[in-house]
Amino acid sequence: MYEELKSKTGLKTEELFAQVTHSDAESEKIAAPRYSYWKSVFRVFFRNKVNIVILSLLMFVIVFSYIYPALTDYDPYANLLDVAGKHLSPGDAMEHFGVGLKWILGSGASGEPTFDAVWNGAKISISLAFMCAAINMTIGVLLGAVWGFSKKVDIIMTEVYNIIGNVPMILIISVLSMLFSPTFWTMVFALTIVGWLSIAYFIRTQVVIIRDREYNLASRCLGTSTIKIAVKNILPFMTSVIVTLLATELPSYISYEVFLAYIGMGMSDMSLGRLIYAAEAAMVTPGWELEFWGPVAVVSIITIVLYVVGQNLGDASDPRTHM
Amino acid sequence: MAKYILQRIVKGILSAICVVVLIMILVYSLMDRGNIFGGDSNYTKTQSNARVTYEQSRYQAFGYVDYVNYSDYITRQVKSGELDEEDRAAAAFIGQTPEKDSETAAEYIKKFTEEYESQGYTVVRLDADKKTNGRVKDGGQAAIFATRDKPMASRVISYFTGMFFIDNIHFVDEDTDIGERGLTFTLHDPLYGGEKFSPAIIGNGTKHKYLVYFDKKFPYFHQNLLTLNLGESYTVNRGVDVFETMTASQGTYVLSSVSYPTGHVEQSADDLHTATYAEGSLELSEMYAARFTDDYTNTITTKGSLSKLGYSFVIGIISTIIAYVLGLPIGILMARFKDGILDKIGTIYIVFIIAVPSLAYIFLFKAIGGSVFKLPTLFDMDSSSKLMFVLPIVSLALPSIANLMKWMRRYMIDQMNSDYVKFARSGGLSETEIFTKHIWKNAAVPLVHGIPASILFAMTGAIITERVYAVPGAGNLLTQAINKYDNGVIVGVALFYAILTVVSIILGDILMASVDPRISFTSKGR
Repeated sequence: MYEELKSKTGLKTEELFAQVTHSDAESEKIAAPRYSYWKSVFRVFFRNKVNIVILSLLMFVIVFSYIYPALTDYDPYANLLDVAGKHLSPGDAMEHFGVGLKWILGSGASGEPTFDAVWNGAKISISLAFMCAAINMTIGVLLGAVWGFSKKVDIIMTEVYNIIGNVPMILIISVLSMLFSPTFWTMVFALTIVGWLSIAYFIRTQVVIIRDREYNLASRCLGTSTIKIAVKNILPFMTSVIVTLLATELPSYISYEVFLAYIGMGMSDMSLGRLIYAAEAAMVTPGWELEFWGPVAVVSIITIVLYVVGQNLGDASDPRTHM
Repeated sequence: MAKYILQRIVKGILSAICVVVLIMILVYSLMDRGNIFGGDSNYTKTQSNARVTYEQSRYQAFGYVDYVNYSDYITRQVKSGELDEEDRAAAAFIGQTPEKDSETAAEYIKKFTEEYESQGYTVVRLDADKKTNGRVKDGGQAAIFATRDKPMASRVISYFTGMFFIDNIHFVDEDTDIGERGLTFTLHDPLYGGEKFSPAIIGNGTKHKYLVYFDKKFPYFHQNLLTLNLGESYTVNRGVDVFETMTASQGTYVLSSVSYPTGHVEQSADDLHTATYAEGSLELSEMYAARFTDDYTNTITTKGSLSKLGYSFVIGIISTIIAYVLGLPIGILMARFKDGILDKIGTIYIVFIIAVPSLAYIFLFKAIGGSVFKLPTLFDMDSSSKLMFVLPIVSLALPSIANLMKWMRRYMIDQMNSDYVKFARSGGLSETEIFTKHIWKNAAVPLVHGIPASILFAMTGAIITERVYAVPGAGNLLTQAINKYDNGVIVGVALFYAILTVVSIILGDILMASVDPRISFTSKGR
């Protein structure tokens, strides 16, 4: 290297060096590339090409469930009186109503386009999932952090968890939906009133694992309050755990809503669960299968996409993968 | 260790009691009690005052209130001798308005009011409901009754005190003449003709006639001395305890030659060993008179198929075994050949099961199983074919396999980076040896904890699977009870689940401690 440079430039050995004046300000700088946490998260996330595909699928799903119903006005009973328009296969429906995107899944029991019904249902189901996840995660994570950190709270909360955890969820939900009418907000209330408890318990276990590390001990010695230690020292450590948890929680609300609707305890809005419940009989009727498999396929796509994006984002938000 | 377990059991019982209290508050205080009349045709048929008294009697049946009707009170007075038969009619007849009461009636109504108001009841008097022409409407007759809401504390206490019933010779009302009360021990059960050796204890004055007996049914030895009452059903399975609803056999009757106490022999499904006391039944029915010699006439019939619990358990336990047998080895292989083809396929499968709603893949399995493999997709109790068990078992096993695969792989990979593995590798052990002898043993410890839970919860059944394949199992009992407002069953089933949870966690801890000698519950500050 040195010999090569010398023969290339023809300079003497001494002339290859240049004088640098000492600067106090410069010497204080640390010569490492600037590290931004969230930039690194997205760099790692987009390094995997599968994620780009899945993310665009997620965008597609969101566009279809929020923008598509807003652009087309969907009235499930518009074709109610059209006797010949019910339970049609895609081909027949396009022949009957004219060619259009909304007939590609055929028509349903009251002549409504299954495709529109599915995306309107998807909007309700996704909204429910996001709403419940937002409420449950906020309460669950904050309380879980305190629960794990304070030993006094731990004793009480563990007993509460043991008792409330044993009350069947279906019972709580059905009692609530009988108390109030089974609307969207009742459902959110029912799913969040005890839903945060299991999230808080999960976070509590994670906190217990890292609570007694030295830096927390040091913080405590310096007189930092428990809540501040929980929020400032422990929560940042658990970003990837929380994102991973969110990845399992979001699809689980959609699945749970489908389950509740199937056993007849769902909400009154035509969510994906209600669509599946209503079309159960269509599954075994030849020619009507799309009415059932349409919503089932869409709900599966939504949950898988949400889960995979969340899991990979969770992996990417772990600083150990940022090398 | 024993002290620790005892402590855990006591704690578990306490939390089960709390669960029952919570559920009773949910069910009895929060739910609108008017809902019970939703599908009640009798309610719509009755009118006026009759509807009010009907409402009250139903509230009592569903366990909301204590309710006493005036005419029942009079009947009781006659029975206890306070009132003569002659005065009965006069006392029981309520005037259209209080002024029109006869003297005897007024006296007894006053007594009734005083007696029940002192106990915290509200006494309600409904005057006759008349049409414009002065005649009394249908169901508009005057009525008097006392009612009070059951206090929560007494409801909880009576539930737990009534949970275990010990049969005794004073069960039948002391005033009833049923001959000499007592227990008889015999070595030769009279039901087998009195010659075959079969010990039994027969009671008179008890609830059950046969307190201890042997028969050909599993578990061969049966006892009725101690019975469990989890909660009586009202709408789902009228008058029958939850536990019995779950454990009674279902399906078609199995007839066999039964010789009744009178000597009458007939093809019947009655299991005479299960006879319980039914007051006055012998006199009322000629059919009973021809067969029985005493009032122990209420028998359970033998049916050919398993109980609800039985079906759920058979399906659940087989799928659990399949899940452990397949899930653990696949999880180990996935970790062993991490990032290999098996790991990738396995991961896709796990993601599929976790993310997709269970309803969707169960229907998918049903569609594939029905059309590709030609398996029966609906359960038929009377069919002897074992093939109908296949799809429910597969539908239950496939998700549990995914779950076990996921955790086994996770724990194995966590262990793979431990120092002891590096040490073993540097010591020259082969990879297979390290995996089978070292990592596997450590990784399996957390999974062992879940084994009792998966065995015990096999009994409760799976709601969706059983519904999709029409399995007559225990899975839908709770939802059915909620839909029919059967409060007794709701409380009973919830308690059953709570007990299973408590027991399975304790058993899991014990099992884990016995598998892994490092885990000890005795040392303080574990």
